Amino acid sequence: MKSVQRYANPSSLQEALAARKADPGASYLAGGTCLLAGDGRDRPESVIDVGRSLPREILREGSLLSIGAGATFQELAESRELPPCVTDAALSMVNRNTRNRATLGGNLGADKSCSSLIPILIALEAEVEAASPSASPANPPGLERFGLEAWLRSRAEAPDIWRAADLVVRVLVPLVEGRRAAYRRWNRVACDLSVLGVAASYRIEDGGVSGLRLALGGQGPKPRRFPALEALFEGVALPSREVIEEAVSPLLRPIDDLRASAAFKRLRGAQLVADALLSASAQYGASALSGASDHRGERIW
Amino acid sequence: MVTTFKLNGKTVAWELDPGLSLRDALRAKGVISVRNGCDGEGSCGLCAVLLDGRSVNSCQLLAVQAAGRDVRTVESLSKGRELGIVQRALVDAACVQCGYCTPAVALAIEELLRRDKNPSREAIADALSSTMCRCTGYEQFFDAVRIASKRLADPSYAEPAGPEFRPDLRHIGKDRDKVDAARLALGERAFVEDRVDADACHLKMLHSPHAHAWIKAIDASAAEAMPGVVAVLTHLNCPDQVYTTAGQGFPEPSPYDQRMFSKKVRHVGDRVAAVLAETPAEAQAALEAIVVEYETLKPVLSIAEAKAPGAPIVHSGAVSYVVGGPPEGTSVEGDGRDDPVVYQFPLHSDPHRNLAASAADGIGDIEAGFADADLVIERKYKGNRVQCTPMEPHVVYARIDSGRLVLRASTQVPWHVRRIVARAIGIPENKVRVIKERVGGGFGAKQDIVVEDVAGYLAWKTGRPVFFRYDREKEFIASRTRHVMEIEVKLGAKRDGRLTAIQMRLDADTGPYGQHCLTVPMNAISKSLPLLLCDNVRFEVKSYYTNLSPAGAYQGYGAPKGSFALQTCLAELAAELGIEQLEMIERNRVRSGTRIEILRSLGEGRAGTAVTLGECGLGDMLARGKAAFAWDLAKEQAPSHAVSASPKASEIPYAQGDWKIGRGAVIIQQGSGLPGLDAANAELRLLADGTLLMLSGGADLGTGLDTVTAKAAAEILGLDMEDVEVVSGDTDVTPFDKGAYASSGTYFSGNAAVRAAEDLRDKVLAAAAAVLGEDAGRLKIAHRGRVVGERGEVSLARLAHMSIQGEGHHELVGFGNFKTEHAAFPYGAHFVQAAVNERTGEVRLSKYYAYQDCGTPINPALAVGQIYGGVMKAVGHSLYEEMIYDETGRCVNPRFLDYKIPSILEVPEDFRVELMPVADEVGPFGGKSVSEIALNGAAPAISIAIHDAVGAWVREWPFTPERVLRAMGKL
Repeated sequence: MKSVQRYANPSSLQEALAARKADPGASYLAGGTCLLAGDGRDRPESVIDVGRSLPREILREGSLLSIGAGATFQELAESRELPPCVTDAALSMVNRNTRNRATLGGNLGADKSCSSLIPILIALEAEVEAASPSASPANPPGLERFGLEAWLRSRAEAPDIWRAADLVVRVLVPLVEGRRAAYRRWNRVACDLSVLGVAASYRIEDGGVSGLRLALGGQGPKPRRFPALEALFEGVALPSREVIEEAVSPLLRPIDDLRASAAFKRLRGAQLVADALLSASAQYGASALSGASDHRGERIW
Repeated sequence: MVTTFKLNGKTVAWELDPGLSLRDALRAKGVISVRNGCDGEGSCGLCAVLLDGRSVNSCQLLAVQAAGRDVRTVESLSKGRELGIVQRALVDAACVQCGYCTPAVALAIEELLRRDKNPSREAIADALSSTMCRCTGYEQFFDAVRIASKRLADPSYAEPAGPEFRPDLRHIGKDRDKVDAARLALGERAFVEDRVDADACHLKMLHSPHAHAWIKAIDASAAEAMPGVVAVLTHLNCPDQVYTTAGQGFPEPSPYDQRMFSKKVRHVGDRVAAVLAETPAEAQAALEAIVVEYETLKPVLSIAEAKAPGAPIVHSGAVSYVVGGPPEGTSVEGDGRDDPVVYQFPLHSDPHRNLAASAADGIGDIEAGFADADLVIERKYKGNRVQCTPMEPHVVYARIDSGRLVLRASTQVPWHVRRIVARAIGIPENKVRVIKERVGGGFGAKQDIVVEDVAGYLAWKTGRPVFFRYDREKEFIASRTRHVMEIEVKLGAKRDGRLTAIQMRLDADTGPYGQHCLTVPMNAISKSLPLLLCDNVRFEVKSYYTNLSPAGAYQGYGAPKGSFALQTCLAELAAELGIEQLEMIERNRVRSGTRIEILRSLGEGRAGTAVTLGECGLGDMLARGKAAFAWDLAKEQAPSHAVSASPKASEIPYAQGDWKIGRGAVIIQQGSGLPGLDAANAELRLLADGTLLMLSGGADLGTGLDTVTAKAAAEILGLDMEDVEVVSGDTDVTPFDKGAYASSGTYFSGNAAVRAAEDLRDKVLAAAAAVLGEDAGRLKIAHRGRVVGERGEVSLARLAHMSIQGEGHHELVGFGNFKTEHAAFPYGAHFVQAAVNERTGEVRLSKYYAYQDCGTPINPALAVGQIYGGVMKAVGHSLYEEMIYDETGRCVNPRFLDYKIPSILEVPEDFRVELMPVADEVGPFGGKSVSEIALNGAAPAISIAIHDAVGAWVREWPFTPERVLRAMGKL
């Protein structure tokens, strides 16, 4: 079993990137709830602790929400700036000790199918601002922006090449007039990973769904968008729950595993799609961004 | 690298390996209150520390990450040995059972109260979401937080006393601190792992990757030559002896079918070799250097496969009997290769057909009973394999001291450990001393000798101290589990609901070895059938060997599965007959004064006798439950509280209409020890200052048994609790006790303490009579520590002092022995209201009331805590827990990430335990057993509630959403 041999604790982003440049095999260490989980698992030989290097503020910048990658799940949950669909997703990591350590950036970096944040951030068209150690004098921190899903996909498919810009510094979520969004998940007990997760976002235009984005976790090796599902409802008025479920179910291709059978995941996944679509509608209504309260009395986005 | 940080307010600078976790660094530096229950997975929370004020798992932090930070452990909450407010509240709320999780719980509450002075139930659950506890059932944590919160505002706040019993007694029936609670809340050294010397060697076990295979060749020579390696043990050099690991009374009703190491492996996780080395890393490296060649065999992976003609044979060695002989037609001749199987007496077995044991009996004429019925139904129920999951895994520390083997053990059965280890090693019992340390949860798994034999042998052989601790995965695959049982119930009844015939046919999967192979399945019968009155009853029990994980004892000992099958079937019959389910119970249940004929055939291996029941509290308990659940009114339709059990309101499905409400209720029973089979002893010494030393053989597993024995002494000798100290479960120091199993702690060990105290009292009175010149019969013990006569008085201290001086005759020591032929049954009634989502199959418990007749509750709040804990374990088994195997026989979820035990967020919203005392004539102060019975109600009550809600019977536990939907025909 391999254990950590070298530990760097840079105090700024520049230092972190320099440390990585000097030690290209090193792994960035954020909350450690994934990288350091499991006594019996191999650990990276060299880690760069980014706890002091990354921003953790959650700010509104014009039509963008900027979330520091160092923000913990607990900080996301407590934020007054974030829409309920994001705090819901953060709170679905129910284990408080883990919420106190796990970070946004670490969660994106791990890119697990059971991530609760990735589906909702994909659905909200989030972008990541990632830093590359190959900074140039013109672009000192080497910051580049990518669509979250494209960034995840490229990293998963070509990890070696993509290592260049794999330190997420901030996540930027566009604030879109009239957008509705929701996250729903299925778990076996409260303190469980999200075995199945669904995030939806869309606007209503001329009575029909517009700009629908559906991202699902637990229906494949990674949490990703399902364009075939989006196509079912784009441009049409949302049908009833039963009709949504019936249409979605055949398009899901989950696998049997110890957490549930494929048949159950297909059924439950379709239900979650229906729930996310319909509850998004119920949650935000037409007055999104107007500052009015939603039905749960929470401040809305 | 040198890391400087603040630890509990003091700056420390530690030289640290960068790979070391903060948990391991703290433990290595002696901060042992930081525990480990999930090997860094982050599920259990027992390693929690406050990092800059926030509760985090120290297993997932590198110690070097603490640089410049503020780290606090439970030691920061107290002043010296004086409990802090949160710790005191945990003791007051009876939250400290085994104590293994207590430091983590205390820290979580500390953090909570710093940010929220008056937290809601939801906020408390959120704060404790990270901490797993198997003993308490979490409910009393809510009380502890409330008490701590009030004391923070007003340090003089005193919590009003809870329900009290036996007004004629000073301590019995009143809440007193559990005697070990304070030191456990402080995080002091208490467990086996806290006793390990710096020079200890580390034992690591090589476990089989195959479910069924011969070891054709094993080469340990490379491993033996590796640095730090002290010894390697395999089937080639271990003692040639078979034994049972079941810690039962001798002669055991379990076959001797296990060698320390065998040339045949019988389950994934079976022992292949052990390495003893100076460091864990060296032991691990050596394990990996052992070369094993296997000849794999087809495994037996279910009961159906075990009994199929031509099935692979799990045990093919010679079969012999110490007393009696084999059943006719069974094969006893070995294959010349496998280990022998030795039965102490016949168990109707046929190992060469994978039948480890069987039994069949009954009363009346079953066929006539069915013929007489207006309706006969037959149903099959299945309970899957669950693991006991004590938060402290199996652990032992063995060392040689003065030529003897000293085992510091986490065990329920110190004397059985001594006997079995002595036999396994081949040394006399007087060469072995077993010291039971605080046990971080036993629940039955620690009734077996799982680690002590091999650790003891290696210490004995090498002379080196041996530390051996399972990790969580080993605890799942190589410890003990609850038997899989498939139970066919056939019931016949008249139209009015009266039963005319009951037949139960039970097949059990005992796994690769036969520990508890007959007694656990038999208990499924013997703790369920006697609840119902019927003239014609038949049962058959068969226990099969398979190549799945070893089964054994688990709290309830078979009874939860028997109860599930019989009580659910009774409700199914009621539904078919159109009779309300509680009415069906009412028409058939035992009641005060009824004669229980079925006990003639349930004699625990001896001839049984029918018993006329004395007082039985079932009627009152059912009446209370019916009132509390407004049973006679139509059930409420989806009240909002029924669905808010979700951790966050945001997870409530928007369509409340999918949630259907159902109710279920069952009656349950257990025993109180094994009458006629077991015995307990205690010794009580009066010391020269008038204090008492209780030497109890009993094994307190966190259950509060030491508090029971202390109370007996204080009550009878007129002293206070602080005047009594208890030493227990040390085979050198305390007298024999059968151990803590079969619900015998309070009844047997408690009664032994009562008798020791009475014996001491009589001796004290005789000594005082001589001093006072009065007849002993006229003297009375008076509070606190005085003997009062008509003419004068004398203190216990003076009498004790005199007794050990030249003027005395002998030291004042009382001795107590307890054995009985009397069977004391605790009874209970469990009522549940569940919300079942007919669309998703999810089940949530909105209301769970457990009524229990445990006789006189010796310490009510602790008794209640035991019941909460028992219920929550059973809720876990009923709804979430299941060991899952792949097609090769490998358990695929041996970790808390995927074996889901309930957290505080699964606790029913309205969760209540009520004690209904019905004094037992033999029990200590009228007490009966408490905790095991509490496991028997959840599965049938929830299953009945699910049917009530959505009209489907789920006959296999756990009732996962998937199984509920399948039962409803929706999947």
